[in-house]
Amino acid sequence: MPDSEKIDQDALTHDSAPIENSSAAAHPEEILARLQAQTRRHFLRSLSAGVGSMFLGSMALKYASPVEASELNIDGTPRLAFKRDPTRPLSVLPPQFPARAKRIIYLHMAGAPSQLELFEHKPDLARLDGQDCPASFLQGKRFAFISGVPKLLGSQYPFHQAGQSGVWLSDRLPYFEKHADDVCFIKSMRTDQFNHAPAQLLVHTGNARLGYASMGSWVTYGLGSENQNLPGFIVLISGGKQPDGGKQLWSSGFLPSIYQGVQCRSHGEPVLYLENPQNVSRSLRRSELDAIDEINRQQYAEFGNPETITRISQYEMAFRMQMEATDALDIRKESAATLAAYGSQPGEESFANNCLVARRLAERGVRFIQLYHWGWDSHGSNAKEALNLGFMDRCREVDQPMAALLADLKQRGMLEDTLVVWGGEFGRTSMRENRNGAVMQFVGRDHNPGAFTVWMAGGGIAPGITHGETDAMGYEIVKDPVEIRDLHATILYAMGFDHRKLNYSFQGLDQKLTSVKPARIVSEVLA
Amino acid sequence: MIVPIPQRPLRYRLGLFSLAPILLLLGLLLFFPPDGAQRSDWAQFIGGFHLLTIHFPIALILLVPVLEVASRSRRFQYLLPVIEPLLVLAFFSVIASAILGWFLARSGGSSGTFVVQHMWAGFFVSVLCWLGWMFRGRFPGLRFDIAYFFGLAVTVLLISFTGYRGGQLSHGANHLTEHLPGPLRNWLGVSQEHGPTASTPDSFFAVRVEPVLQQNCVACHGRSSQKNGLRLDSYEAVMRGGKSGLAIKTGDFKNSGLFQRVSCPPGSEKIMPPQGKTPLSPDQIKVIELWISTGASPSLAANAAKGVSAPARPAVDVTITEIDDAAVAKQRAPFANALAEFDKRYPGAIEYESRDSSRLTINASLMGSNFGDSDLADIKPLYGQFVAADFSNTAVTDRSALNLAAMKHLRKLRLMRTKITDATVLALSGLSELESLNVFGTEVTPAALKTADHLPRLQHLYAGETRISANGTLPVALKGKVQF
Repeated sequence: MPDSEKIDQDALTHDSAPIENSSAAAHPEEILARLQAQTRRHFLRSLSAGVGSMFLGSMALKYASPVEASELNIDGTPRLAFKRDPTRPLSVLPPQFPARAKRIIYLHMAGAPSQLELFEHKPDLARLDGQDCPASFLQGKRFAFISGVPKLLGSQYPFHQAGQSGVWLSDRLPYFEKHADDVCFIKSMRTDQFNHAPAQLLVHTGNARLGYASMGSWVTYGLGSENQNLPGFIVLISGGKQPDGGKQLWSSGFLPSIYQGVQCRSHGEPVLYLENPQNVSRSLRRSELDAIDEINRQQYAEFGNPETITRISQYEMAFRMQMEATDALDIRKESAATLAAYGSQPGEESFANNCLVARRLAERGVRFIQLYHWGWDSHGSNAKEALNLGFMDRCREVDQPMAALLADLKQRGMLEDTLVVWGGEFGRTSMRENRNGAVMQFVGRDHNPGAFTVWMAGGGIAPGITHGETDAMGYEIVKDPVEIRDLHATILYAMGFDHRKLNYSFQGLDQKLTSVKPARIVSEVLA
Repeated sequence: MIVPIPQRPLRYRLGLFSLAPILLLLGLLLFFPPDGAQRSDWAQFIGGFHLLTIHFPIALILLVPVLEVASRSRRFQYLLPVIEPLLVLAFFSVIASAILGWFLARSGGSSGTFVVQHMWAGFFVSVLCWLGWMFRGRFPGLRFDIAYFFGLAVTVLLISFTGYRGGQLSHGANHLTEHLPGPLRNWLGVSQEHGPTASTPDSFFAVRVEPVLQQNCVACHGRSSQKNGLRLDSYEAVMRGGKSGLAIKTGDFKNSGLFQRVSCPPGSEKIMPPQGKTPLSPDQIKVIELWISTGASPSLAANAAKGVSAPARPAVDVTITEIDDAAVAKQRAPFANALAEFDKRYPGAIEYESRDSSRLTINASLMGSNFGDSDLADIKPLYGQFVAADFSNTAVTDRSALNLAAMKHLRKLRLMRTKITDATVLALSGLSELESLNVFGTEVTPAALKTADHLPRLQHLYAGETRISANGTLPVALKGKVQF
């Protein structure tokens, strides 16, 4: 609106330049010129805008600021207020009840890693390896690629018991297995999406469709962030590709955009375009920002759009981040021993570097740190996606860093109040993929939304336990299924929130991460 | 020379009469033996005097052979007439003590071979006393003298055995051999297999077994109460056993008393903890089974035993109560103004623990060296409200020790990478609610660990990159709680 108005103004002054110069204000010629300058477009615009504003004006009486309008949620329970000083949209708010976790580090393995090659020890499946899959496995099921009657596929890697809990793990995670007793495995996760993008959206926004707020946004909205010089929700990506769900995975959806995830890079400039351009000093930048802020403030005073405030605080944060983010993301400041523990090579984009950055950000009070590591989509359609080849590389890429991250957090006492979550967006089938009904050159598995494994560690989660169980083939859940929304409710509980209370009025609903279906807090995994 | 005493009729009458208490005792022991069940408090209270009175007859009986020998010499002949009244007194006090002992055993929940042996040995001591009293000096002649002295010797041996078993019942099965010096131990051939040693921290025992015992057993088998003479509050005590003998049979969980008792089916009379108390969970029983079957070691590494998953929480519907805003506001009122002031000065650093709480948390770590001792001193009005405080990376030093110690309700205190030393840690010994203390990256030394004895709730001590070494010895109270 303001921009187009400005352009119109320009056009107007340009067209009527000679008349503007005349001193008489109400000269008939001027009036005539003005009328001449009024085109049909201007008339239609002001007409429609006028009708529109009359409509909006009438609605405003009824629906103005719905968040403030009601003290109650739609279900009649008292509403939690998330009002803040508009100039400090990230300021800390206390949780609803005492929280066990203060921050989250979420390690998402994009592409859905095979639980059968990592966590699910199924000797019976190994015994039946190569046999036709029973018809009951296929009835009523949709697969991305499997067609006809596929063969059962045993695990490609040997399993053994680890830790004191004796949990069965494959030999692919030798570093991680030292933390087997610090971790809670949920082997009965399930989803209703069998394609990557919607499944990832479901995991991160609680909804398979676009436009919803991500978990990181919700948590930052609910609790703010302790460090005002860094975003409260930071995203780090490795594996050479963005997750299929794209930037929508860390979108703030309907929440104010200050709560959206900020993607940082672990090599080169941590945040693109954060540095000042050449020959622009920090003080010049400051005075430039002051001017922009002033204009934005005037605009906010006129229109009251909260997004204007968001923009002001984004500019300000970017300015402060020039100092703080550069420091926080610079892993060269870590000791050689620490770099070696993570397997970090400063200067490259890797999961190892991102894990180390995650720890540095956690130390600096960042509320939600989201890592994506791409490349787990082990269909077997090429070497990189083969369970017997590329999968091994993926395991090597994540094993040592995530173990080092857990060790670091534990040593610093941060595992007490940091919740670490690891998982993909769905599981993989117990059958070998047979794309187009043919035997493929490489070994792979198709998508299985029916069962997958997620592990959690730290704040509020009981260590050394396994929750849920799948059948002897690792194909379907036989005990204690956990829906994505149950996982969300449990995570929010650890963060000190009733998932129903952490909500936001939008489109006539109390929108929440767990969406509208009832979700259960998985009490069995709580410490 | 033994001189006959001319009052036989009286002695016979008394002797026959005193058969009654012997028979009474015999009846009690035969028909109401100690069966491990606990009975009335009164009976237990009376039984307690067994331990007090028992030393009296022992002394009297041991005096008899001494006097018998001494009175042989002319100088001490005048002692001779004392011996018979001594035997009478010994007999009646043995009977009395034995009946008290029966009360103790029958009502106090004792059972096992040690109790049975102690009981019958004590009974036969009383019989021998009676025989000595009846027949002493009745028949002249060397033969009888020899028989009498042989009887005395048997009595002394029997009373020694009874006393030893009694000692085992009240002080543990190996109370005598416990501190036997090594060479003597080898020479005597006393096995050292159960020679008690302290468990090492981070051992399976310290990390997994001890917490189970602490939670479920120590209330009755600990420092303050030792039912059945059994203590379970340390590795040494567990291995020492109780009145019923050893609680642990190394490597054989099925025959270890401790395992048998905790694994009884619910509702069984023998189950421990006793009926009405929460039985051990299957996971906890499994922990004990694994520990015994792997050798009941004090030092087996915590992760060496496989197949014990941590106890899972039950599946319940988590209920979350609505916040009573008015009540919370009332609790917060006394310091709300002070808090508002400090929030202006240190934006966002001090915050309520939660919306339903009036307790506070402070995180000064992001202010770094801009936050120091004087700032910490300034927030004094809020000390009593803090449950969690993070002063990591700040300029806080030992000068704040007493101020930190004044935060009485602290549950979590982080002092990572600060200049604090042992002085601060030692000053914290009054923080009875402290659960987690973080001194990572400080100059704290092992001397500071003493403070842990005074921190009953402490669960985590983060001591990485300090002068405290993972290889050093830790106080018992810190077993399994220190993170390096």
